[in-house]
Amino acid sequence: MVDMKLFEIARKNDALRGVRVLSITRIIYGPWAATLLGLMGAEVIHFEFPGSGDLLIRGVSPGGSFPRGLSPGMMCANANKYHIAVDIRHPKGKKIVEELVAVSDVLMENFKPGTFDRWGIGYNQLKEINPGLIYVSMQGFGNWGSLSQRPSYDAYAQGITGLAEITGFPDAIPLKSQAWIGDFLSGTVAAYLTLVALYYRKKTGKGQFIDLSQAEVLIRAMDWTWIYMGITGENRERTGNRDVAVVPSLIAKAKDGFVAIAAFDKKEFEALCDAMGDRELKAFAEYEKRFENAELIYRRIEEWASAKSVSEIEALARECGFSASKVMSSEDIYHDPHYNSRKSVWKFIDPLWDDLTYPNPLSSIEKTPGKVKWAMRPVGFDNEHVLTRLLGYTQEEIAELYREKVIGRWDEKFPATAPPPGWDGKKGLFY
Amino acid sequence: MSWEEFARNMTDLENAREKPEALSDLLVLDVSYGSFAGLFASSLLSELGAKVIRVEPPEGDIARKMSPYGMMVEDTGLAYLVEGRNKYHITLNLEHSRGREIFEEMASKADVVIETFPTGKLDALDLGWDKLKSLNGRLILCSIKTFGEKGYLAEEKQTPDALDYDTVDQARSGFAWTVGIPEEYDEFPEHTRVPTKMGNWMAHYAGGAMAAFAVMSALLFREITGEGQHIDISPAEALMALNNYALHYYHLTKTVIGRVANFEPAAYAYNYFQAKDGMVFIAGYADPNWKALCEIIGRPDLVEKYPTLADRTNPQNFIPMTREIEKFTKNYTRDEILKIWLDYKGPGVTVAGEVLRPKETLDFEHWYERKALVRFSDKDYGEFLVQGLCAKMSETPPRLKWLCRPVGADNVLIYKELLGYDYEYLAKLKKDGIL
Repeated sequence: MVDMKLFEIARKNDALRGVRVLSITRIIYGPWAATLLGLMGAEVIHFEFPGSGDLLIRGVSPGGSFPRGLSPGMMCANANKYHIAVDIRHPKGKKIVEELVAVSDVLMENFKPGTFDRWGIGYNQLKEINPGLIYVSMQGFGNWGSLSQRPSYDAYAQGITGLAEITGFPDAIPLKSQAWIGDFLSGTVAAYLTLVALYYRKKTGKGQFIDLSQAEVLIRAMDWTWIYMGITGENRERTGNRDVAVVPSLIAKAKDGFVAIAAFDKKEFEALCDAMGDRELKAFAEYEKRFENAELIYRRIEEWASAKSVSEIEALARECGFSASKVMSSEDIYHDPHYNSRKSVWKFIDPLWDDLTYPNPLSSIEKTPGKVKWAMRPVGFDNEHVLTRLLGYTQEEIAELYREKVIGRWDEKFPATAPPPGWDGKKGLFY
Repeated sequence: MSWEEFARNMTDLENAREKPEALSDLLVLDVSYGSFAGLFASSLLSELGAKVIRVEPPEGDIARKMSPYGMMVEDTGLAYLVEGRNKYHITLNLEHSRGREIFEEMASKADVVIETFPTGKLDALDLGWDKLKSLNGRLILCSIKTFGEKGYLAEEKQTPDALDYDTVDQARSGFAWTVGIPEEYDEFPEHTRVPTKMGNWMAHYAGGAMAAFAVMSALLFREITGEGQHIDISPAEALMALNNYALHYYHLTKTVIGRVANFEPAAYAYNYFQAKDGMVFIAGYADPNWKALCEIIGRPDLVEKYPTLADRTNPQNFIPMTREIEKFTKNYTRDEILKIWLDYKGPGVTVAGEVLRPKETLDFEHWYERKALVRFSDKDYGEFLVQGLCAKMSETPPRLKWLCRPVGADNVLIYKELLGYDYEYLAKLKKDGIL
């Protein structure tokens, strides 16, 4: 059945049509930044090395299973890209990079600081080929500074910045998010900065170099942590599921699940007290009183919530005027009528992998919504498309590049690098 | 010149003032209320040079009251002091018809309006998208709110009349479901083995970043077509998109990804371990690296017991393996463990890294060299340690000009400049409760 709403969105304009991006990136941070540009219509060419490609992420799946031959790790950060596999250290591979740079707008990379410079394809060299190039270098700690040689792991960034230490309960352990939020959030900021640079280039014709550290993005996102410690000299401690700056705003245990409840605005707080039938709490409607009595307020709400079902609390929130929501699982989200109506839960047919679902936070943009066109591609799947259509390589030249192992395709030994089992040699190819 | 020197010369924020600002031709009205998603979005724009005007109600944005333990500096809480940066602050009463007229006049001159009111509120004020676009065809309206401005719940009028809260967004994103200690990890108290929100306002920061990205894409589209448009962002949906493959995987397998403490479902060891004085991150997941890890802790039996990646990524094994490794790590401080790992010169690669308290991370010179953290002296509020600027850009670096302004502090300047109002007229508006 054709989903008419999806079809309607798919027919709308692409904001970044005509922008060409080279994503020579690995794991999540770089790939996600490029994907966001791809969702908005940029033409993204994603590089891997021939053979097993970016196996560190293609090999990622809970329990090591690859449904339909798909890699969950790869598919969550590589939508809408043309996947090519080039040995960029080989002189002919380097030439392919240079030729593509000459006709591209953006190059993104997240190899160790200085690697591309050493290989002769750093910003210093590439800006000579294309002065309008926007070169985005995404690192754990940036391209310079005393920590710049430290490794770029998401879990390390969450640890060293203190993000993990402020997450979780004081009487248990610090917690990192299961999601690679250091990668994903930083990738989002990198995508934003890329558009800022494109905007500036539209006005001036000038390209530029961008250096973004994922640890610094996490530090930036840690709200009042630093100013609080600067003023008080105290460490910011973990406070579990209670927000100490917005009282009340918490996750509580209900009879049949977990529920977030928040009511900071005075009117909302009074509405919550009414819903709870708690006249005593109402005495704390003034904000200062809220903070002074936070412990009591939280305890009362938690007690109240524990005797109610999640849906009862959600209904009371709507009736009375405060905020509440179930703590939703991926299953809840998948079936949620609201998310499905907004197409932020984007159920679509992939040209190679058939029916899939992808989150799409950009689906509700009026004239240029984000679109997920395809989820991921096997290693080197689009070599011919890119080399022939963009660079004009002949069949013979391409065959020669394969022979010399400058370009290549997937490795059958690793299913997550290859097309789905039983692939007919044609399905999903664009060229 | 080494790469590091070259990169530093290009992007050191010490040299920022001599360079142009990327967004200096943009006028942004941030009429957000009680939302750090809205504030972060406009901070990202103001750091890169957009002229951002915060439009607050006469009593100020309720976000100024959102502060740890209620701590205030003058009229403003700590979180707002971080996100008021480079913004002009004016007041305007949108509940008043004259206030709405004034807002319309300003919106007709603006490039971007950011709003975070409860779903439907802007329409109820007769300042909805249909109205605003009729005044200014080039305007980009960016709505940021938990339930979005459109969709099933909006049509059914089933969204609560309430602010957009980070905790609720974290719950609706699926993120909170995947963060926390699992039920079976029973060495921790029961009340801690629950879905857990991130300590920071992660949904609001994710939503703000996504909104700023969407605004820039709309501005680029406007460069081609001359047309504005309406952007509808939900911080819950933004964070949902940053939650790894939880949703994708559910579609493929009908399996719900649950919480796993600090484990990585696809690799082991790649997680935190308890030390004497906190936790450490240790990675060593490919077979030779796992061997190296076991060698260091003197436990070759663990290599035999969990020889393959498949054994080690079996979730059943996460807790038992961790308990075994922690028999070693709990005897040492984090510093001692780092040193033990650095001293290992045998085959295989295994790394150990610090899990620091925020107070401990302050000791790294790195953050100050790169101005990720700064001690900033603000004319109105004083000197504070705050986040500086994470972006390093060679041509159009970001700037931190001021931290915040008191409620209505820029009324005279902005109303004069934008609408030509003189001092007397402003006094009258103030008296009538419109400013």
